[in-house]
Amino acid sequence: MKKNSKAMFVLLSTLILSLLLAACGSNESVNSGDSGKKKTKLDFVWFSDGVEGEVMKEIIADYEAENSHVDIELIEVAYSDLPTKLKTMISGGKPPALARISTSEIGAFSSQAVDLAEKLGGVDGFTSQFLDSIKPYYVVDNKVVASPMDVTANGIMYNKTLFDQAGVEVPQSSDDIWTWDEFNEALKTVLNKSDAQYGLVWDFTPHRWSTLLYQLGGSMMNSDGTAATINNEAGVKAVDYFKKMHDEGVIPTSVWLGGENPNNLFRTGKTAAHLSGNWMISNYKDITDFEWGVTYMPIGTNRSSVPGGKFVMAFQKSGVEEEAANFISYLSSKEVNSKFNEKSLFMSPRKDSADLNYEFGKEMFALFADELNNTVPAAAEDWSKQDIVPKFSTDLKEGLSDVIADGKTSQQMLDEIAELINEAIEDTK
Amino acid sequence: MSTESIAAHPQPVNKRKRKLQLAPYLFVLPNLLIFTVFIVIPTILGAVYSFHEYDGLNPMTFIGIENYAEIFTDVKFWQTLGKTATYAIIVVPLIYICALGIAILLVQQIVLKGFFRAIFYWPTMISFIIVGLTWRWIFGELGIINGVLEAVGKDSVSFLSDPFFAKLTVIIAAVWSRLGFFMVIFVAGLLAIPKDYYEAAHLDGASKLRAFFHITLPLLKPTTLLVVMLTTIEAFKAYPLMFALTGGGPNKATTYIVQYIYETGFAKQELGLASAMSIVLFVIITIFTVLQFKLTKGGEN
Repeated sequence: MKKNSKAMFVLLSTLILSLLLAACGSNESVNSGDSGKKKTKLDFVWFSDGVEGEVMKEIIADYEAENSHVDIELIEVAYSDLPTKLKTMISGGKPPALARISTSEIGAFSSQAVDLAEKLGGVDGFTSQFLDSIKPYYVVDNKVVASPMDVTANGIMYNKTLFDQAGVEVPQSSDDIWTWDEFNEALKTVLNKSDAQYGLVWDFTPHRWSTLLYQLGGSMMNSDGTAATINNEAGVKAVDYFKKMHDEGVIPTSVWLGGENPNNLFRTGKTAAHLSGNWMISNYKDITDFEWGVTYMPIGTNRSSVPGGKFVMAFQKSGVEEEAANFISYLSSKEVNSKFNEKSLFMSPRKDSADLNYEFGKEMFALFADELNNTVPAAAEDWSKQDIVPKFSTDLKEGLSDVIADGKTSQQMLDEIAELINEAIEDTK
Repeated sequence: MSTESIAAHPQPVNKRKRKLQLAPYLFVLPNLLIFTVFIVIPTILGAVYSFHEYDGLNPMTFIGIENYAEIFTDVKFWQTLGKTATYAIIVVPLIYICALGIAILLVQQIVLKGFFRAIFYWPTMISFIIVGLTWRWIFGELGIINGVLEAVGKDSVSFLSDPFFAKLTVIIAAVWSRLGFFMVIFVAGLLAIPKDYYEAAHLDGASKLRAFFHITLPLLKPTTLLVVMLTTIEAFKAYPLMFALTGGGPNKATTYIVQYIYETGFAKQELGLASAMSIVLFVIITIFTVLQFKLTKGGEN
């Protein structure tokens, strides 16, 4: 009996040990990529906001049909887990071949990226095919660290049903765009004369707030990135106006103070407008309770949106850099890129694919493209400095909430952020 | 002590004893392995990181105690720690009182006792993220309470945009979700108290209240120590609930220390500094626990 139970312990512990070891071991065999007779395996870390994952699977199937020696495996992660996942893989010495990456991560990983310039026809040859505004994101130290897949623009979605009910007409062309005061008044009218309960919901990110900053002529840093400019007169104005709209009840405090999801508020049909970005078109596509549309963002001293996008990056030391670069070259071709964006309801970063044949919301995409064409250079210059932005963006987000909650004055808050920016600039030298 | 007694015995017995002693180690082996891989090694790594500047990606650079020096001058860190302490000071007694109160009610001979115990215990089986979302659906802008208010023609209230109500919501949700677990511990503690004491007290004419303060509470001392220690540690480590319920808002009113450390590490990409903060938190919790243990003499009567 004693012997039996002892044997069982030994058995059990061996089992657990071997399971643990197997878990560690399996990783190695996946990544060792013995490229003899077998196919070359490319791990592609991916995240999806909408249907683009399915579209990518189709594109991969096409590519594999043409290139039978390549096997691309899509590793899908939640966007929020992406940086951690990539960091773990890279610092563990097993980087993936490829990853989809957004503007917020591109800077942090650029030192680990394969320089694609040579493969894609030189820095100038490659970049000239894409919108100039996003160039600072993917060209770092004259290296092409990633290839643009889609481009994003901030903009305004509005509830047409509520605007009609209140008898307010949105600007019909870029000639009669509202000023911010006119827009604010229009929202108040909609709040008073319709069933609207909320005026404008504004995504709870400093990136979306910065749209107002650029429209009022401000910026976070000077163009060569050597000093903070966020606390100048334009910056203070942008925070003051943002607070004023909260104080007047046009923007509900439940988003920036209560953490409520603005998408949910817009979907209730009781919200007049939502300041977000073009990716919301595919999200709101299924709304049937009310009519909605996209309208021009108001003008301050000038018009501006904030460009962003998603990219594909190939990593050094994956052992399959060559094959990964080939696949990226395939993805960035006009034909494949257009297919990806058309089916995913995204905007193409390629200059020659601006006019895609979307099956939904074609005129809305045209409007977002117009916003992007009227964007100040400062927007991409600021947000592409991803070695500096993460050092203050959380504080900026909290700082804006603090101003809304009367914790600090706009100038006080921005002076503190400017100090953080300058410290971060100092650290990178 | 055991080694001494083994050494004193003649050789054959010693051998036999050694063999027998293998079993207990095998028993703890699976857990020890998991504990080592997921707790001990990361803790050591964390301690190493805390002396380096590290973004999780590029090579670490050794900077000595600079991270610790930064923490001691970081006003926000200590403010957040203070907020966490305030939260603990409110939540720990609340959970203690509610769990004990309900346990006392549910050791009585009442109808549907098992059913009520289950009702109080169920929430502990739900993950904090779901608990947070659930309470968000109750108190949120689009929550049930606001739905009812609107239905009766009142204006909706933005509970989670108001620091006071947001804190209150977090406390309610925390107490609701943890109460059942500690109730079960108290029930076990209460059932372990011999009935004779109460009978004797009753015969001597002691009131129920007196019996509670002079029999129940003193005899529950070990259980009390356990519950207070566990709830305190839990309160200092609170994050997933706030993450789902308030996101740490409004304006950081419900951002407690673990979220602050998390944001330093993963949003600001300063893993070295965040590791140092974790070590500081670890030391504070350890001191607190040891102190509690010493003050109550290990919970012995």
